[in-house]
Amino acid sequence: MKINVMTDILEANDRIAADNAYAFTKHRNLVLNLMSSPGAGKTTLLEKTAEALKGKLRLGVITGDIETSRDAQRLRKYKLPVVQLTTGSACHLDANMITYALPHIDLKKIDILIIENVGNLVCPAGFKLGEDYKMMMLSVTEGDEKPLKYPQMFRESSLLLINKIDLLKYTNFSLKEAKANVRRVNPKMDIIDISCTTGDGIPEWISWLNQRYQKRFGTKARA
Amino acid sequence: MAIARNIVSIAVAAAEKEGARKITRVNVVAGELRGIVPEQLVFYFGLMAENTIAGGAYLDLEITPLMVKCKQCGDKFVVKDYRYACPICQSEDIETLSGTELRVKDIEVE
Repeated sequence: MKINVMTDILEANDRIAADNAYAFTKHRNLVLNLMSSPGAGKTTLLEKTAEALKGKLRLGVITGDIETSRDAQRLRKYKLPVVQLTTGSACHLDANMITYALPHIDLKKIDILIIENVGNLVCPAGFKLGEDYKMMMLSVTEGDEKPLKYPQMFRESSLLLINKIDLLKYTNFSLKEAKANVRRVNPKMDIIDISCTTGDGIPEWISWLNQRYQKRFGTKARA
Repeated sequence: MAIARNIVSIAVAAAEKEGARKITRVNVVAGELRGIVPEQLVFYFGLMAENTIAGGAYLDLEITPLMVKCKQCGDKFVVKDYRYACPICQSEDIETLSGTELRVKDIEVE
């Protein structure tokens, strides 16, 4: 006997993500889901962002790591609200893990929440967390063909930060080629070249954040 | 792995609702853009289905192509090699019709 099912496999996750998104909107939080391969520089970016936003927008971080809490330790010295999720064997964060993290972070006291996903260019793309935007980091020590190898993640992200551009001269990474590949997969993606070491491009990234925050919640001060 | 686990729980729930005792086949539709690796999903499905009424069931994966529609000229085409530009008018303003879905279509039970 055949039974018609027609059930979306990720429906349960999407429903929980919508609940998370509701909580974020209520507290006027701009939420970004940050994805990249391991070692692209996600945690260093968060350190630089924390420094640059000091006294302006208030940053909070949820960070996913398979085993250790090293990422969270690095960020604590910036006096940010940081929640470390240890995912065990899971190679991505899902909406339910974010729901568990929420009681540990005071959403009223932050403006921007960056969720640092597990370093992986495949699995995190399928799981919504309740974010406003997905964003990616790609470092020049990887390869400029990455957008074509992992199209789903590039297709769904709004912003790409190309990191470690200070190392360009030591690699055969072509910025032009990388950007052409990104455009092919996602013509609408914003791209900013940065170096977390020299600070190049960090002001442009901060201004992207500011613009998106204002677009979402306006310029009026919070009540 | 999370995907395989969800497939098993969706299939088992649907079968139990109909009072079935054993699931013999599960038909899944997966869009090309989901980047599913069939061998891997079949392996994890087998693992997750053990000790459930879906144990030993055959998992069939139908991969649907990435089908889009040009918002400028209305042409419908299949995206190959991730070239997201309309072959007729070259516009990049397109809408996805299929290729991102991921669902359990139907199951066969005894």
